[in-house]
Amino acid sequence: MNKAMEASRELKAMDELATLKSPIHSFCPLSKLLTTIFYIVVVMSFHKYDIVGLVVLILFPLIVYSISTISVSTCFKKLRLVLPLVILVGLFNPFFDKDVLFHIGTFAVTGGMVSMVTLMMKGVFSLMASFILIATTPIEEICSAMRKLFVPRILVVLILLTYRYIGIMLDEVAIMYDSYMLRAPRQNGIHVSAWGSFLGQLILRSMDKATSLYESMNLRGFKGEYDYRFTREKNRFSKLYAAIFCLLILVCRFYNIPSLIGSLFT
Amino acid sequence: MIELQNVSYSYSDDKKSLNSVSFKINRGERVGLIGANGAGKSTLLKSLVGLITTEGSIKVDDITLSNKTLSEVRKKIGYVIQDSDNQMFMPTVIDDMVFGPINYGMSKPDALEKATKMLETLGISHLKDRYNHKISAGEKKMASIATILTMEPDVLMMDEPSAALDPHNRRVLINMLNKIPLTKIIASHDLDFILDTCDRVLLIRDGQIVADGKVDDILTDKILLEANSLELPFCLQGRN
Ligand SMILES: Nc1ncnc2c1ncn2[C@@H]1O[C@H](COP(=O)(O)OP(=O)(O)OP(=O)(O)O)[C@@H](O)[C@H]1O
Ligand SMILES: [Mg+2]
Repeated sequence: MNKAMEASRELKAMDELATLKSPIHSFCPLSKLLTTIFYIVVVMSFHKYDIVGLVVLILFPLIVYSISTISVSTCFKKLRLVLPLVILVGLFNPFFDKDVLFHIGTFAVTGGMVSMVTLMMKGVFSLMASFILIATTPIEEICSAMRKLFVPRILVVLILLTYRYIGIMLDEVAIMYDSYMLRAPRQNGIHVSAWGSFLGQLILRSMDKATSLYESMNLRGFKGEYDYRFTREKNRFSKLYAAIFCLLILVCRFYNIPSLIGSLFT
Repeated sequence: MIELQNVSYSYSDDKKSLNSVSFKINRGERVGLIGANGAGKSTLLKSLVGLITTEGSIKVDDITLSNKTLSEVRKKIGYVIQDSDNQMFMPTVIDDMVFGPINYGMSKPDALEKATKMLETLGISHLKDRYNHKISAGEKKMASIATILTMEPDVLMMDEPSAALDPHNRRVLINMLNKIPLTKIIASHDLDFILDTCDRVLLIRDGQIVADGKVDDILTDKILLEANSLELPFCLQGRN
């Protein structure tokens, strides 16, 4: 299997995850989308030194992962390319913010170090939340939820078709790469002299294919408005669950749970 | 029911892929469209659903095909395209099957029920929840045929339906086609398939209709067929 094929498989595997069956999968996409956005906003709103408060927030993705039967390691595996970027963002903080906040033994912990950790946590938490949304909701449903939030139609269709187009393009790369290699067995990769025509072909072929798919959609009544009524039954209590979840998130935002628990025992 | 008058089309300026094609197909007729590679069969089918804009006029049930009537006409004509990879765009087979009906206003449970029945009729219920990218070419062909039939078109157009099918599924398809009383237009090189499923044949060469007649007349005309890069159907060849 070549790299492009692997990438395409992984993308399609997301579709497969999204069609599994679990309570999370059965929630209506709008509730899920809103809860996710709410969660991310709350996570981002924490003060840059508030590690302790922030830590508790990891509970929510963890709960959702375990209910949805998708393992957290799947998330980190799929996001292995993005994660380092998120981590990188905070890396320079220690150099800017050198105020000492407290000491652990003789080691002085500066504000920069703490804010680096919170920033990374914020990034990772948000990624985990977004991932579980995408992994439990087909892209069509996410798009339909976005429409309900009045995101412009053209933008939503664009997102939808881009998502599909990437898959198509990867497939084409995989096929072309294989046919190239079958006829150039001794080469290690595609020779520079063929890059131009390879790329040109790739664009033409994937455009052709995308056009055909778009035509197929049109032939079956697609009129630019993605009218996706779900093939799977939606949970009637979605909104209630979403509300409870948001409430819990809020509670964790404004009450410092760890210190509350701590005070119970002292 | 379907009427073409002087329909012409060229992909590029120098060569006409359809050259002044005129014919009429009545309700319930079963028409085979045959011709060599590149003769213009797929192009002709595409023109009937307005995927390409042609010169001349195309009428379906007295509706003249134009941008305004496009969706009306497309609702009447179900088109199974040559490459089923391009036909299926949803994650699973069942998702794909309900896409069309729902778009045309059918309720979800009705669409699901219809789709499930169609899968049973075609004997491919096991494909229902399979992922489109994980089924074989022939399975995909059967699924894409099911997808189109679920939309209950008045006219069924198929481009090389038997190309990827094994003998069993080919037979299933032939039997099924002979059971449903739709108007059919089937483009194929599989002349035995045409012989089993059609009454009338249109022979196309370089974008022109060069013969139009009963299936028994045209498919037994060895000279005509061979002049068009075709051969007698195997069942009529006899072995010696
Ligand atoms: N997208 C395109 N751009 C330019 N020319 C095309 C395109 N598609 C088809 N043609 C040309 O139009 C002519 C008719 O093609 P068409 O696909 O209708 O043939 P066909 O009868 O369906 O052949 P086959 O049996 O191989 O499917 C051919 O000469 C072909 O080269
Ligand atoms: Mg063709």
